[in-house]
Amino acid sequence: MARSSFTVALAAAIVVSSTGVAFAEWPEKPIKVVVPFRAGGTSDQVTRAFQAAIEENDILGQPLTVVNVGGHFSIGARQVMEAEPDGYNFLTIHIALMGGEGGGIFDFGYRDYEPVAATGQFCVLPMVRKDSGIDSMEELLAKAASEPDTLIFGANLGAINHMGGIMMQNLVDGAKFRFVQIGGGTANFTALTGAQTDATVLSAAEVANFTRMPDGSENPEAQIKPLAYTGPDRVEHLSDVPTMTELGYDMNYCIESWWFAPKGTPQEAIDGMAAALEEASQTPRITEFYESKMFAPVFRKGDDLQNSLDATWAAIEPIAKQASQK
Amino acid sequence: MIGDLGGALAHIFTPLPFFYVFLGTVLGIVVGAIPGLSGAMLIALTLPLTFYMEPVNAIVLLVAMYVGSITGGLITATLLRMPGTPSNVVTTFDGHPLAMSGRPGRALGLGIAASFVGGIVSWIVLLLLAKPLSIWATRFGPFEYFTLILMAMVLIASVSQGSMVKGLIAGFLGMLVSMPGVDPSAGQPRLTWDWYVLNGGLKLLPVLIGIFAVSQIIGDIVSIGKKIDRIDANLSGMLMSFRDWRRQAFNMLRSSVIGTWVGILPGIGASIGSIMAYTVAKNMSRAPEEYGKGSEEGIVASEAANNATVGGALIPLISMGIPGSVIDAILIGALMIHSIQPGPTLFLTNADVVWAMIAACLVANVIMLIVMMGSVKVVSQVMYVPRTFLLPVILVFCIIGAFALDNTMFDVWVMLGFGVLGFAMERAGFPLGPFVIGFVLAPLMEEKLRSGLMMTAGSIEPIFTRPLPLLFLSIAVILLIAPFIRAWRQSRIARSGNAPGLNSGEGDSTR
Repeated sequence: MARSSFTVALAAAIVVSSTGVAFAEWPEKPIKVVVPFRAGGTSDQVTRAFQAAIEENDILGQPLTVVNVGGHFSIGARQVMEAEPDGYNFLTIHIALMGGEGGGIFDFGYRDYEPVAATGQFCVLPMVRKDSGIDSMEELLAKAASEPDTLIFGANLGAINHMGGIMMQNLVDGAKFRFVQIGGGTANFTALTGAQTDATVLSAAEVANFTRMPDGSENPEAQIKPLAYTGPDRVEHLSDVPTMTELGYDMNYCIESWWFAPKGTPQEAIDGMAAALEEASQTPRITEFYESKMFAPVFRKGDDLQNSLDATWAAIEPIAKQASQK
Repeated sequence: MIGDLGGALAHIFTPLPFFYVFLGTVLGIVVGAIPGLSGAMLIALTLPLTFYMEPVNAIVLLVAMYVGSITGGLITATLLRMPGTPSNVVTTFDGHPLAMSGRPGRALGLGIAASFVGGIVSWIVLLLLAKPLSIWATRFGPFEYFTLILMAMVLIASVSQGSMVKGLIAGFLGMLVSMPGVDPSAGQPRLTWDWYVLNGGLKLLPVLIGIFAVSQIIGDIVSIGKKIDRIDANLSGMLMSFRDWRRQAFNMLRSSVIGTWVGILPGIGASIGSIMAYTVAKNMSRAPEEYGKGSEEGIVASEAANNATVGGALIPLISMGIPGSVIDAILIGALMIHSIQPGPTLFLTNADVVWAMIAACLVANVIMLIVMMGSVKVVSQVMYVPRTFLLPVILVFCIIGAFALDNTMFDVWVMLGFGVLGFAMERAGFPLGPFVIGFVLAPLMEEKLRSGLMMTAGSIEPIFTRPLPLLFLSIAVILLIAPFIRAWRQSRIARSGNAPGLNSGEGDSTR
C-alpha cells in the first residue's frame, strides 16, 4: 500500500508541475496500450480489434501500439500503473484485476488507475455433461447441496470461472463444489467432455462454438450442455437457454473489457481516448467482432464507468476472498 | 477427402500462397536457428500483420513458420551446442559431439532427414485419424499426464554423464528454479519475496537460453585466446545411404509416433516429445553407451520426434478447437481475429481453411527438406567462423529474444544470470541436461498431480487402478532400473571371462 500511495503522490506532483505548460493537441505521438496477457487471448483480440478500427477510420490521427506483457497479468498491470501519466500509456484488463486484489495476490487495484472506458461485455454459462442426469440449474445446485464437495468443478483457481462457480454455490445454502485446477475455457471444455470434471462455466462464444452448428441448431456430437445464462437478457444463438434471473436466482455475472490509464493522466487524454473508443465501437469492424464473440455492445465512460466499477468491486471482493481461501 | 486435399494443394501452388509458404518456412528456419528467437515469438509478431491478409493465406503463412521454426533449431544445436528452440535441447546431446568429431554434415543431414520423416508421419496421422484421436485425448486426465511426465522425468537419471549424484543435484536444482511465481494450482504467489516481477516466475525461454547459449558464449569468451584445433570439415554422409535408412527406419518411425502422440495431448510440447523419444531410443538401443557422445540414433530420435509434434498438435486444434501447444494457442488467436472459430464445427464452417492448413503442413515440410539440404554446406561453415565475430551477434539476438518474449527487462537479467550459473555448473562438472529437464517438467508434473489430488480429495489411488497411469508408471520403473541391470549383467559377464562374446550380434550397430 505504501508504494501505491507514493505513486499517487508522485503522480499528483507531476500533474501539478505540468499544469502550467499548455498541453499541445493530444495525441501528438503513437499511443501505447499494454495487454497484460500473451498474444491471441480474448483481451488481446479486443485490444487489437479496437487498434484496427481506430487506425482504419483514422479516429485519432495517431496509431495505437499494442504491447503484450506476458507472465502473470499483475506484471503488465503494474507497469502501466507506474508508467509516466503523460496520456500515452493505457492498459486493457478485465475483472481479474479485482479478483487478484481481493484474493491478496497483489496490493493494488482499480482505484490506483484513471478509468477510461469499458468496451463490450460477455457473460458465462454453467455447463454439465449431457449424460450427467442433471437437467437444470436447480438440479445442479440441489446436488451440490445434498452431496457437498463431490461434484468436480473445473476452474482456473482465482480467475473468472472460479469466481463464477463460487457465486453459483452461494445461491443455495450448503451447496459446495469441489473446485479443481483445470485452466481456461478450452481446457475445461476438454476436461468436461472427457468426463474428468462434472461442471464448469464457459463463455457464450465458447458454448456456441463447442455445442452448436453454424446455423444455431444443436451439434449432435457435443457431449456437454449449458444450463443457464448469467447475463441480464437471453443471448442470440443460445436463445433457448434461460437466464439465471428468469430461473429465480439473483446472479448476474458478466465480464467487461476495461481501459485504464495511470493515475494523474491529463483529463484531455482520458476523454480523448474514451471518445475514440466510443466512436470505434460503432464501426463495422467492432460490431462484427462483438457479434462473432457474442459480446453485448456495452460502452461506459465517466461516472457511469466509475459507478459500475465500484458496484463490481463491492460484489466481487468477498467472492475473491472466498476463492483465495479454497 | 482426396478431392479436398487436392483442391487445397492446388491453391497453395498458386503464386501468392506458395510465396507465403516458402517465406514462412524460410523465416521459421532462420528464426528457429537463432538461439533466443523462437517460433512462438515469430508467429506472435506476425499475427498483427495477418490482420490485412486473406484468412487462408494468413493461416498458411503461420503454419509454415511453425514447421520451419521447429526444424531450424537443430542447426545451432548441432554446430554450436546452443539449441535454437527449447525442443532442440536433446539434439545438442549427440548432435554437437558428432559435429565436433569432424562430421558436421553427417550430423545435420541425419537431423534434417529425421525431421522430414517426423513431419510426414505426423501429417499422415493428422490426415487420417484427426477425429478419433482427439476425442480419445479428452479422456486423458491429470493422473495420466502425471505418470506420463514422470516417465519422461526418469531421463534425468539416464541422460546424466559422469557422476550420477551431480546429475541428480543438477536435476533438483532445475526443479527448484521452476518453483517461484504464481502457484499454477492455487493462484497464489510463492517464493517471490514480495517482489512483483517474480509473479510470472522464471520463464522457460530466458532460463534455457541463459543455461545453454549464454553459458556457452561465456565459455567461448574465456577460451577465445586459445588456438582451437581445426577439425576437418567433412561433409560426406550428409545424404543418408540406403543402408542408413534401413538401419534408422525403425527408430525414425518409433520416434515419429511418440512425437505425434505427445503432440496430440494438449498442453505438453515438443520438448517433451523429443525427451521421450530419446529416452526410449536409448533404452532400446544396442549401443546405449554411444548416447551423449555423438550417437546417430540419438539425433534421429530427437529430431524426428520434435517435428512430429507439429502435425500431432494440429490434430486437437482442427478437430476440437483445443490447442496442443503454445504456438497452436496463437494460431487459434489468429483464426479468431479473422472471425473463424476453431472447434468441432470448423470442418463445416471453414473447410477451406482446414484443408489449407493440412496442405500447408505438407508443403512446408517438403520445402523445409529442400531448403535445409541445399544450405547444409554453407550453414555448417558457421562452425568455422571466428568466434570473435560470431559471439557478439548471437549474444545480441539472445538479448533481443529474451526481451521480446514478454517485453520485460527482467527476463534479460534472468537470462544473463543463468548464463553465469550454467557456466559455473559446467566448470564444476554438473551436467546441464538434467537441470533443464527438471526445470521444464517439474511445473507440469506438479500442476497435474495437484489437479488430480484436488479431484480425488487427496487420494493417489487412481495411479494404481487406472490402466494408463499404471502402464506409464511401470514403464518408468523399467526405464529407471534397466541401465543398472544391464551394467550389472555386463560386469558379471566381464568377470566370468565372456567379454569377447559381448559384441556378437551387434555388428550392424558398430560403425
